[in-house]
Amino acid sequence: MDELGVDKAVVCPAKPRAYHLGAANEAIAEIVADSGGRLSGVARVDPLLGDDACAELERAVETLGLRALFLHPWEETFRIADRRVDPIVEVAQRLGVPVIVAAGYPFVSEALQVGALARRFPDVTFVATNGLQLNISGLGQVDSELALADSENLLLQTSGVYREDFIEGVVRRFGARRVLYASSYPLLDPRLEIRRVQWAAFSEPEVEAILGGNARAVFSLDGD
Amino acid sequence: MDEAGIDRGVVMTIVDAPAVNPQALELIAEACAEYPGRLDAFARIHPWYGQESLRLLERAFGLGFKGLKLHPVSTLAHPAGEETLRLIRAAAKHGAPTLFHCGDEPLATPLAVGRAAAACPDATIILGHMGGYFHVDEAIEVAEAHDNVVLESSAMPYPVKIAEAVERIGASRVLYASDGPACSPRIEVEKVRLAGLAPEAEALVFAANALRILDGVR
Repeated sequence: MDELGVDKAVVCPAKPRAYHLGAANEAIAEIVADSGGRLSGVARVDPLLGDDACAELERAVETLGLRALFLHPWEETFRIADRRVDPIVEVAQRLGVPVIVAAGYPFVSEALQVGALARRFPDVTFVATNGLQLNISGLGQVDSELALADSENLLLQTSGVYREDFIEGVVRRFGARRVLYASSYPLLDPRLEIRRVQWAAFSEPEVEAILGGNARAVFSLDGD
Repeated sequence: MDEAGIDRGVVMTIVDAPAVNPQALELIAEACAEYPGRLDAFARIHPWYGQESLRLLERAFGLGFKGLKLHPVSTLAHPAGEETLRLIRAAAKHGAPTLFHCGDEPLATPLAVGRAAAACPDATIILGHMGGYFHVDEAIEVAEAHDNVVLESSAMPYPVKIAEAVERIGASRVLYASDGPACSPRIEVEKVRLAGLAPEAEALVFAANALRILDGVR
């Protein structure tokens, strides 16, 4: 973070070897507490666990102080548009926290699938990783823009988006408010990922919003 | 290219001749002629046009093209299908490489393209994007299994995998490429630099390997 001039970061649990997300959420809370205000944490739950997942999100937000819900349909094996996801999003809505979705994974978190969930919950802010699409041919870009057009409450992160013209196009069409820088570290290299924003054709206010301002607003970081 | 400090680049159409634009080869040839010494051409050809596909490829070499580009996701032609192998072998007779789009989609995975490499051991097979987001490890394994496979770095997002590829198959079979204008050449150059290669290896990846391949075309 220091090397790249990153002041604050939002961190979430990786898939724990023990498959116990509750313990992973507690570990994130401890890391945040030891970070001197530089880290904020996100709670990861498996929505297929039903009531247990809802209770875990409540605990993570109200007791552990985590700031958002993180859903990883690929690693937890569920479709993001599955109606069984709705109860956990309803809890997020009641708690007033945004929902981050690991997006772009085939069959489970394609752009229009993420968009379908976002349309069901227009009062919840959804943040999709990977520019809403992971396709080295760019085949997911049109669906990503369709999903963004459908839902004002759907934002995307820049992590791993190899098409700089796609990110620039999203900002031109939907505004810089809809785009957040993310590194996806340690999967991706922050030294490269940050260049996708710094070297794109953005104005200074747009860069400021994408590199920090939007995240401060979405994750309520200003009070830290 | 100037902004990224690139002297020479390889260019091609985004369509598969003769589909969509019957004048695709001429379009590229004219573009290269406008920038002498800076652009080399690959012919992107649809394998399913039988003798017409072969005729177009020979016409391309007559125009000075330096390689064949195949995009199985666009053409739906399997890399190891007979129509495709015929084109690869025809290119190899000129000493020319075949560049495959090689990512995460069916028809374009490293293991699928690896079948073509196995069937055409005399052809240089370049795995563009070296497997994309999810198939990079398989691309490296395919290159380990087949000496005629070269990995190309564009678009895939992992600098560390470039270093790993150099370590496992040697720097002489790893190529920088930009995939521009889809990708920013400046960022793609930075990605290779972030791989932290030794200077000799980086020089091979950035230029010497490509020049060796291009200069071998006859």
